[in-house]
Amino acid sequence: MKKKRLIAASLTLLFAATACGSTTYEATQIPVKQTPPVSTPAPPAKQDCTNPLQSYAPDPGPLSAPGAMPTGSTMAKIQAHGRLVAGISADSLNLGSRNPISGKIEGFDIDMIRAVAEAIFGDENKVELRVISSPQRLPVLKAPRTPGAVDIVARNMTINCARWKEIAFSAEYYRSGQKLLVRSDMKAETLAQLSGQKVCAPAGSTSLDNMIKANPKVVPVTADTDTGCLVLFQQGKVVAITGDDTVLAGEAAQDPYARITKAPAFSAEPYGLGMNPAQVDFVKFVNKVLEEMKADGRWKASYDKWLGPSLEVPAVPPAPVYGR
Amino acid sequence: MTQTTSAPPPPATWSPPAPQAAPPGRQAPASRTAPKLGPIAAWFDGTPGRMRALLIALAVVAVLFGAAAAQGFRSSDGALQRAEDNTAQLVRIQSIHTNLVSANADATNSFLVGGLEPPAQRQHFVDSMTTAARLVSEAATAQPADQKALGELNSTLLTYQGLIEQARANNRQGLPIGSQYLKDANATLQADSLPLLDALVKANENRINTEFNGVGRGNAWLLLGGAVTLVVLVLGLIWLARRTHRYVNVPIAAAAVLVLLTVVIGGASLSSAANAAKDTQDQAYANTLALSRARIAAYDAKSNESLTLIARGSGTAFQDAWVKSAKDVDDQLAIGGTTNRTLQDTWSAYKAVHVQIREDDDKGRWDDAVTKAIGSGKATSNATFTTFDKASNEQLDELSETTQSELSDARDGLPPIGWLGLPIGILAALLIAWGVSQRLEEYR
Repeated sequence: MKKKRLIAASLTLLFAATACGSTTYEATQIPVKQTPPVSTPAPPAKQDCTNPLQSYAPDPGPLSAPGAMPTGSTMAKIQAHGRLVAGISADSLNLGSRNPISGKIEGFDIDMIRAVAEAIFGDENKVELRVISSPQRLPVLKAPRTPGAVDIVARNMTINCARWKEIAFSAEYYRSGQKLLVRSDMKAETLAQLSGQKVCAPAGSTSLDNMIKANPKVVPVTADTDTGCLVLFQQGKVVAITGDDTVLAGEAAQDPYARITKAPAFSAEPYGLGMNPAQVDFVKFVNKVLEEMKADGRWKASYDKWLGPSLEVPAVPPAPVYGR
Repeated sequence: MTQTTSAPPPPATWSPPAPQAAPPGRQAPASRTAPKLGPIAAWFDGTPGRMRALLIALAVVAVLFGAAAAQGFRSSDGALQRAEDNTAQLVRIQSIHTNLVSANADATNSFLVGGLEPPAQRQHFVDSMTTAARLVSEAATAQPADQKALGELNSTLLTYQGLIEQARANNRQGLPIGSQYLKDANATLQADSLPLLDALVKANENRINTEFNGVGRGNAWLLLGGAVTLVVLVLGLIWLARRTHRYVNVPIAAAAVLVLLTVVIGGASLSSAANAAKDTQDQAYANTLALSRARIAAYDAKSNESLTLIARGSGTAFQDAWVKSAKDVDDQLAIGGTTNRTLQDTWSAYKAVHVQIREDDDKGRWDDAVTKAIGSGKATSNATFTTFDKASNEQLDELSETTQSELSDARDGLPPIGWLGLPIGILAALLIAWGVSQRLEEYR
């Protein structure tokens, strides 16, 4: 018995010593996914000025002829550069979006840019459309004025006091208002009915500030662009989107299961073209262009083409306010 | 008649009951005369007993040597086999990586075109994704340790492909939201899929290096086992020579020679296999690795070229990424050595086109830049890149085949000591038994 056990034991030992042929490896380590820190939206910026809509009054007299900008002016520099560099959105349907079929970026905001280019060059195509996101709007305008820097931003930007401290605005070119977009099967009409639910607004936008002001109990979710919100909405990650009626109209047009609620706009969003605060001559020039557009019907034509059909409100060009 | 009542002469055949005559199993009388000794102790008693102990000790050492030799060979053989398997796995993983970045380059490039994708590009995208999916399941079967990470990768690919298809569906309808889905898809690939692939590549590279280093380790078993065995056998021979006054016990000496031969032949062949493995590691394998890295970086650059254009002027980050990837390609191609001359030329041709694209875009001629980026004519980004892709793919296939066959040759060159080791040990043990029992005979 003992012998048998001894033999068995030594055989086991032998096999153990020789049977190292099959090595098992440690499992491949799965990289730890860095979850982005939960972004708590910055508190709404203080709005402490009397009338943010006040811009710089254009100089009296007609505009200089296209292609002959006054020497030393910002417009002359743009003319020398050969094209107007504009920061725009490429995914806000009807405001500034890339037409996937033609590849061209088009919309109401883009028409404003082209009008400015027309006034400087006599050619509305001398523009370089630079796609930027919502949070990039102010930084690109504050960047040093090197050749190729963004001259003007037309990206459904609301004029307000806080932004006036960093950039300069043209006179108001459109009066929008913030609304709510929900799933077509939802009964909610206002933000107040969405406490505890996830609602999306673009990061760094006034829509986000207004939403938190309107109902602090909604769970804010941000995306880089308005369309980013629509993707989250389609993926069921948020139940509603809040934003300017112009933007929401474009989004609802892309998704038949989205509905803009009938509640009236809960904020006024006056749109202005953003420019560098030091280039006041350019702001005055742009204001003159806008005045002419509103007067000669180009503004209305553009509105009727892009915004009229989906907003179903008659076009009234906002009157400019000057005095800054 | 004189009665001689003397005791009758003992018959010639008579013999006293001597212990020698009794079969070893019937040692009962001895134990009876010396009751303090157990049967086993008695067997090891006196000089013959010590000889028996020597026999057992030497035989055990000889068998253990056989086992050690077998173990040494199996460990080297196993290391070579595993190096081969792991290299195949690494090539597989890098092929998954290449297919994914290539699919992504197609997707981003066709986005510049719009909803109406070129059918060939679409087909290439589908093929790349299919190949990647097939390779993922192959890789999971080949290396169980990679299964979890590959499973994770698979789920990110599902997300990626889903987003791409949604982007296409929306693009096809002319809805701008398609671009957002494409952006999200690209982000999923970059942030979720590629880190997993990097982890897989790193893990497999580590495994390969471990195995390459392990090829020479089998020699330690053989040399250590051989040295100990030879010392023990020589000591045994000396001890026997002193007890028996004979110089050399021939069978035991033969066993020692057998052990020595095994050590010399086995050691030499193991060293040469280890050297062959080192050569492969330094050349064919290093080149395979460099070229697949170059290809991955190249596809990454291609995607970034499209993304720079899609970003329309705010794509500085993508262009910076292009510059970094392109430098990686240059560096890795340089590692590949002189054989890559033509490959470097095709890559330079693509780079030249990219420089033109950047110049157009930077000077505000975005449409011209896009035409060069999405066209299929001779001096377009797609055409020059395809040339590089084809050439580098062919060369990569060759290199990885060379690596595999070199490792397999090194393994085939090993003598079959992995299997013969134990029989050799047993043979030596039998020789020892024979040698000692010759001396034991003299005590019968």
